[in-house]
Amino acid sequence: MDAWDIFGASLAAALVIWIYSFAYRDNVLYKFAEHLFVGTAAGYSIALAIDSINRVAIKSLITSPATSWHYIIPLILGATMFMKYSKKYYWVARYGIAVNVAVGAALALRTIPMANIIAQINATILPLWGSDILKIINNWLIFLITLGGLTYFLFTIFPKKISGRTSPIYGFYRALYLIGIYGMMVGFGALFANTIMTRVGFVISIYLIYLQPYYIATIIATILAAIAILIPILIRRRGK
Amino acid sequence: MKPLDVLEKIIGSREVLYTLLILAIILPILSPIGLPVTISSRTLAVYDYIQKLKLGCHVWMELNYEVAARGELEPAAIALIKQLFDKGCKIVFVSTAAYGPLVFSLLQSMAPDVFSGKKYGIDYVFLGYVSGGEAAVASLARSVTGTVSTDNYGNPVSELPLIREANKATDYDLAIIVTSATDTINYYVRQWFTPYHVPLLFVVLSVIAPSIEPFVAAGQAIGMLTGQRAAAEYEVLVGRKGLGLAAMDAQSISHLLILIFILIGNIVYWVKRSSQKSKR
Repeated sequence: MDAWDIFGASLAAALVIWIYSFAYRDNVLYKFAEHLFVGTAAGYSIALAIDSINRVAIKSLITSPATSWHYIIPLILGATMFMKYSKKYYWVARYGIAVNVAVGAALALRTIPMANIIAQINATILPLWGSDILKIINNWLIFLITLGGLTYFLFTIFPKKISGRTSPIYGFYRALYLIGIYGMMVGFGALFANTIMTRVGFVISIYLIYLQPYYIATIIATILAAIAILIPILIRRRGK
Repeated sequence: MKPLDVLEKIIGSREVLYTLLILAIILPILSPIGLPVTISSRTLAVYDYIQKLKLGCHVWMELNYEVAARGELEPAAIALIKQLFDKGCKIVFVSTAAYGPLVFSLLQSMAPDVFSGKKYGIDYVFLGYVSGGEAAVASLARSVTGTVSTDNYGNPVSELPLIREANKATDYDLAIIVTSATDTINYYVRQWFTPYHVPLLFVVLSVIAPSIEPFVAAGQAIGMLTGQRAAAEYEVLVGRKGLGLAAMDAQSISHLLILIFILIGNIVYWVKRSSQKSKR
């Protein structure tokens, strides 16, 4: 690794420490790292986007205009989107946006019924009796929680409680409603647990990839972050 | 101060929590415990499926994750690439995310041994960043040469032998989507699986796994590898130790610490609540 690689890797380690220092307190080094990240990410994305347009459309138009003339249409439509910034001609941007939305919707809609609705409904039609007890319990849970979740979101029509007594239909509705609520709570709990796993995984991998190999930069950055956090606290206490 | 109040103050202090969590992550890495890693049936099913692919098969791999998600997704991706290359499979890499080229170069730098001996253009190709989201995925399914004219390095795709062999979705035996976003999964299910029935394999973050589970349960994917745990299991299966396995001890200890804090928090809450009720 040459000197610039080591410098870059050390800077990465320092920036990671400064970003994570926000967990303790907001500080000037965190702000610096955050702004640097936002600027770099935006610049990188813009450069990649322009390179993509150049590679896909502009180069083809220049090298083989006879077979690539159609690229001029999305180039013009994309350019019209920038008319949003004009007070007089902002309406021109609607054409580019409209085509973009229409193409996206058309592409998605042609297979959404099969992919996202029919296939999912099919997956909940499961055998509710058999020899494999664990599988049957699992199938019953899927069946009941799916019904319960759908019942929970039934806002338009639902059985009313007859005064004085609970009708069987209302009892059945309430049972499904409660199954739906508790099922969703368990689901959200699982989602939260998975989120924790992901975030902890991020920290571990960041430590292994960026911090441990460049421990000197890590230690220096940690000391600097600690100073950046402590100084405002001490100044505030002195002011009191 | 009562012991319960002291305990509440400790677990309520985020500085203490974060410091203990950092120690729970760093100490097992510096001094590994070597906790056993058992292989789950899901990971084994994915491994067996790929083992049954024919020699020299064509595989499509979408890399759609940001650099921050490398730790969760890259180990599994590298293990999969190793298994596929060992079977003589040919891989076309692509990314519909702007950071794809960066992520691919980082992946290659982390696994030079996996790519050694493999010829670019014949054994693998990287098409680079293809903009357009779902439209790009749909267009690539119809024709790769019709969507992009050059790969990430400026080579005309029509001149690459691998792309000449596999130019559309139906030419591929498997499509692997390595992603941190649920959108990408939806695109491939809608544009690759539903119209062309290309088998899909998802390599995803733990956080989006519950959202993607319905696709796997509905048979729209052959399986799913979730997070660092699945990566560690896969590394054991392919025989290449990597970041996934290195992270397992730290994962286990840090999760144990979080469990302990949740338990303590609940105990403190219920004890305080019952003592307040008895005071009334």
